[in-house]
Amino acid sequence: MSAAAAIPRAGISDRLLGPLLIAPVVVVLGAVIAYPLFAALALSLFAVDTLTLDAQWVGLGNFGELLGSDGRFWTALVVTLVWTAATLALQLVLGIAMALLLNRDIWMRSLARSLVLFPYFISTVVAVLVWRWLFNDFFGLINLALIGGGVIDAPVDWLGSMPNAFVSLVVVGAWKFFPFVVIAVLARLQSIPESLYEAARLDGAGVWARFRDVTLPQIGEVLGIVVLLRAIWDFKEFDLIFLLTGGGPIDATRTLPLIVYQEAFGLNRMGMAAAYAVSMMIVMLGFFAAYRAAVRGRA
Amino acid sequence: MSAGVRKLGWSLLAWALVLLVATPLLWMLSTSFKPENEVFAVPVTLLPEEWTVEYYVLLLTETSFPRYFANSAIVATLTTLVVIALGTLGAYSLVRFRYRGREAIASAVLLSYLLPSVVLIVPLYLMMVKLGLANSLASLVIAYTSFALPYALWLLRSFMAAVPEDLESAAMIDGATRMGAFLDVTLPQALPGIISTALFTFILAWNEYLLALVLVNADEVRPLTTGVMTMLVSGFNIEWSLLMAASVMMSVPLIVILAFLQSYLVRGFGAGAMKG
Amino acid sequence: MVAGVGGRVAHNGAASGGFSRRAVLAAGLALPVAGCGAPDDRIVLRWWSPQAAPAQARAYRAQIKTFEAANPRYRVLFEPTSDDGYPAQFAAAFAAGQVPNLVSHLPSFAAQTYYAQGLLAPMDPVIAAIGADRFLPDANRPYLAPDGRHAAIGIGSTAVDMLWVRRELMAEAGITAIPRTWDQLRAAARAMQKGAVYGAPLPYGSNSMTSLVFVGFVHRAGGQIFSPDLDLVLDSPATYAALDFYRSMREFCPPGATSFGWADSLNAFVSGATATGIYGGRVLINIARQNPRIAQHLACVPYPTIDAQVPHWTFNDFPSLFMPKQAPHQEATRALAASLYDPEGYVRQLLAAPGHVLPVIKGITDREDYRGNTITTTFAPEIAAMTAAASAGHNLGYESPAHRPNVKAGEIIASNALAELVQRVVLAGENPRAAVARASRAIEAIMRR
Repeated sequence: MSAAAAIPRAGISDRLLGPLLIAPVVVVLGAVIAYPLFAALALSLFAVDTLTLDAQWVGLGNFGELLGSDGRFWTALVVTLVWTAATLALQLVLGIAMALLLNRDIWMRSLARSLVLFPYFISTVVAVLVWRWLFNDFFGLINLALIGGGVIDAPVDWLGSMPNAFVSLVVVGAWKFFPFVVIAVLARLQSIPESLYEAARLDGAGVWARFRDVTLPQIGEVLGIVVLLRAIWDFKEFDLIFLLTGGGPIDATRTLPLIVYQEAFGLNRMGMAAAYAVSMMIVMLGFFAAYRAAVRGRA
Repeated sequence: MSAGVRKLGWSLLAWALVLLVATPLLWMLSTSFKPENEVFAVPVTLLPEEWTVEYYVLLLTETSFPRYFANSAIVATLTTLVVIALGTLGAYSLVRFRYRGREAIASAVLLSYLLPSVVLIVPLYLMMVKLGLANSLASLVIAYTSFALPYALWLLRSFMAAVPEDLESAAMIDGATRMGAFLDVTLPQALPGIISTALFTFILAWNEYLLALVLVNADEVRPLTTGVMTMLVSGFNIEWSLLMAASVMMSVPLIVILAFLQSYLVRGFGAGAMKG
Repeated sequence: MVAGVGGRVAHNGAASGGFSRRAVLAAGLALPVAGCGAPDDRIVLRWWSPQAAPAQARAYRAQIKTFEAANPRYRVLFEPTSDDGYPAQFAAAFAAGQVPNLVSHLPSFAAQTYYAQGLLAPMDPVIAAIGADRFLPDANRPYLAPDGRHAAIGIGSTAVDMLWVRRELMAEAGITAIPRTWDQLRAAARAMQKGAVYGAPLPYGSNSMTSLVFVGFVHRAGGQIFSPDLDLVLDSPATYAALDFYRSMREFCPPGATSFGWADSLNAFVSGATATGIYGGRVLINIARQNPRIAQHLACVPYPTIDAQVPHWTFNDFPSLFMPKQAPHQEATRALAASLYDPEGYVRQLLAAPGHVLPVIKGITDREDYRGNTITTTFAPEIAAMTAAASAGHNLGYESPAHRPNVKAGEIIASNALAELVQRVVLAGENPRAAVARASRAIEAIMRR
C-alpha cells in the first residue's frame, strides 16, 4: 500500500474516481460502436441485399457456406495469417532498429525523426500508387536500378507472380506501418533513465548486452502493446492489399478483408460479408485470449 | 575524437536508412515539379529537366484542395484533442485504480475494434443519418474518435504504467490532490507517450479513407484523402502530376511541423523530468 | 523525502514547460474553420459523378450556371464520387435514403442493377424532353430495362478497347497493314517487339480490366458469355479460342502485365513502352500532353478478331445518366438532366475529355465548337473510327441487340470470376476445361441469386 493512500483527503474517493475517469471512454464507445457492432452481428444471420437491405433469415446458413467446400474462408485465413505474421515481424525489426538509431545523438535528429514517419503519414492510396510506379517495368526505379547495376537484364514482375507478389506486399506493408513501432518505442526509450545504462557500462556490458539487459526489458511492455495493436490492424488491413495486388495472382494474396469487401459491395451480399467479418472476429478473439493468457503468465 | 567518429558513423547509417525509407517521398517531390511530358519519358530522369510549379498553382487556385486541407486539419485536430483527453483520463484510471471489471473494460474496449470496418460502415452511416449528422465534419470526428480510442487507451495505459507511482505519492504527501498529482506529476512524465499517441491519432484521422468516402459526400466537408482521390484518380485515368503535387502538399507541411515540435518536446522533456 | 523533492522539481519544471507546450501545440494546430456560405433559400439539387477531373468539373460548373440562371429557384451541388469506391457510397446512400437527385457517368450495368432493385426512376420522360430522335440510333438501347422502360440514358459513349498502333514502328518492322485478325496481330507484335519495346499491354491482373477484355476476346472469337435468354454459355469453343489467344499474347506483353489495370496499360502505350495499345480516346489527350512526338504516327481501329469473317465487337461502358427514385424534386431534376444536353454545354463537357467521352446526340461532331478543339481536329479520323465502333458497342450487360438486359453483369465483373479464369489458364497453366467449369459455377451462383 502506498503512503499516499493512507492520508485522508478532501474530494472524491478513489473508489469512485477510477470508474469515473474511464466512464467517458465507455460512454463514447458504447454510443458510437455498439449499434453498428450489433447490427453487423445480426446481419451475419440473414441473407441481405446491400442495396435495399432486404433481409431473409438464414440462421447459420452463411457460416455453413463460407466454411464449406465452395467457401473461401480457410484458404483466405491462411493467407491472412501468413501476411500478418510476416509483415509484423518485419515492422518490429525495422521499427526497433530505427528507434534505437534515432535515439542516438545524430545529425539533424528532429528532421530524421519526422522523415521516418513519412510512410505512415502519406495516405495509403497515394503510397500504393507510388509503389506500383516504383515496381513498374519501364519507369520503375527498382527495375531500372537493378538493370543498371547488372543484377538482372529484363524487368522483374514484382506484383503479378508468386512468390514476388507476396514478398512485395509484405515489404510495402512493413514500410508503410513500421513508423508506428518507431513512434511508440522512441517515446518509451526517452523515459529510460540514463543511470541504468551507466550502471551496465560500469559492469562491463557491451552494446548488445546493454540492449538485452536494459533496453529490451524497459521497452518490453510497450512492445507487447504494439504487437497486439499492429497484429489486429494488419489482420484487418484492406486498402493496401486491395490496391497493390487486388488479391492476385489468382487468390495468392486474397486476405479475408478483401473477401468481406467483395461480398459486401461487389456481390451485394451484406449478410455473407458480415458472416466473414464475424468469423474473422472470432479468430482474432482466439488470438487475443492467448495474448492475455501469455501476459498474465509472465506477470 | 572517437566520440566524434562514432557520431559520424551512426549519423551516416541512420541517414542512409532514413533516405531509403523516404525514397518514395523524394520521387513524389521530383515528379511534382516535372512538366507532364517528362513524367513518363523514357529514359527516366531523376530530377526534372525543366522545373514547373504549374500543378501546385492549379491545385491551390482552381480546385477545392485548400478546402479539403482545412477540413482534414479540423477533423484530425478535433479528433486528436478528444481522443487524448478521454484516453489519458481512462488510461490513468486503468493504471492507478483498482476496481471490479477494470480488465474487462479494457478488453471490451479493444474488442469493439476487432470487427473489420468494411461491415461497420453502412450501419454507422445509417446511425449518422438518424442523428442528423450525415455529411458533416462532426460525423467524421465522432467516427474517428471511436476508432482511435481503443488504441489510444491501450498505448497510453502502457506509457503511464512506466511512470513510477512513488512520484505521485510524494506529491500527494506534499498536499496535492489526486487529480492535482495526476496533472502535475504523471502527465508530464508520460508526455512522450502522450505525444506519440496524439501523433498516431492525428495520422489515423488524417489518412482514413473508407469511412470518409461513405460518411461525407458534400464537397464542402470532404477531407483530403477522398477529396484528392475522387478528383484525380479514376479507374481509367490518373492525373499523375496533380496527384504528386497534392501528395507533397498533404505530407510535407506535417513533416516540417513535426520536426519543429519534436526538437521542442525533447528539450522540454529532458530539462524537466530526468532529474528524478 | 528524496522522492518528495524529486516530485517537487518535476512539478515545477513540468508546469511551466507544460503551459508553453500547450501554447505551441495550439499555435501549430490552429487552423481556419470552414466558412459558412451566405443564407440561401434556393432548393438544392445534388448531382454525383465519378468523372470529376479538374477540366471536367469546370465544364459541369458551366452547365450548372446556365441551368441556375434559367431556374432561379434551384441550386445545383456537384459532388464528385469515387470511381473505385462508388459501390460502397451508393449502397450507404440508398440504404439511408440520402440519395443524390442526379447521377452521371456510372457504367450502364450499374444503372441496370440499381433499377432492378427498384431504386431508380425511369428516364423515359427525360428522353421525351430531350427528344428521342435527337439521340444517335440505339444510343439508349443498353439502358432498356426488362420492364421496357429506360433505367438510364446515355450521357456519352466510349470505345474502350480500340487497337492503337504506331505507324512508324510498323513501317520499321515491315508491316504494311494494320492487323485485322489475331494471327496478324500476333505477327505484328512479334515483329515490333525489340529492346525495351514490348508488343502489347494486355492485362493479366486480378481486376475488372482483365475480365472486361476477356469478354471482348470471347466475342471476337465468335462466341458469347450468355445466350440472348441469359443462359450461361461460357463452355464453348470460342471461349477456349479466346483463352488460347490470350495465352499466346503473354510473351509480347511486359512482365508486369500480370498486375496491369487500365491506367498501367494506358501508360505503357502512351510512354512508348509498347508498340500497340488497347484503350479508348484518353490515349489522345495523354499523348498530346505527355509524349507528343509519337502523336503524328498514331492510328486506331477496332480490336482484331479471330478471322476476318467474325465481325468486330467493341466494349462500350456506356456512361449513363440516371435519377434515384427516393430523391425529391423529380420534376426539376428532369429539367436539369435535359439541360445537360443543350449543345453548347454538352460540347464543352465532351471536350473536357476530348475523344474519350463521345457524343450520343446527333450533329455534335459537325459543330464548329466541337471541331475547334486541337485534339478533335488533329485526330479526326481516329475519333471517327471510335465513334463508329462505340455506336455499335456492347458490354456484358448488353452483349448483343438480341440479348435481354443482364442486371447481374456488374456483380459478375466484381466477382473477378473471369479474370481468375484468365489467370488460372495463362499464368498458372491450369487445364482450360477445369478452369472454365470453375468460372461457370461461380457465375451461375451469381445468376441464381
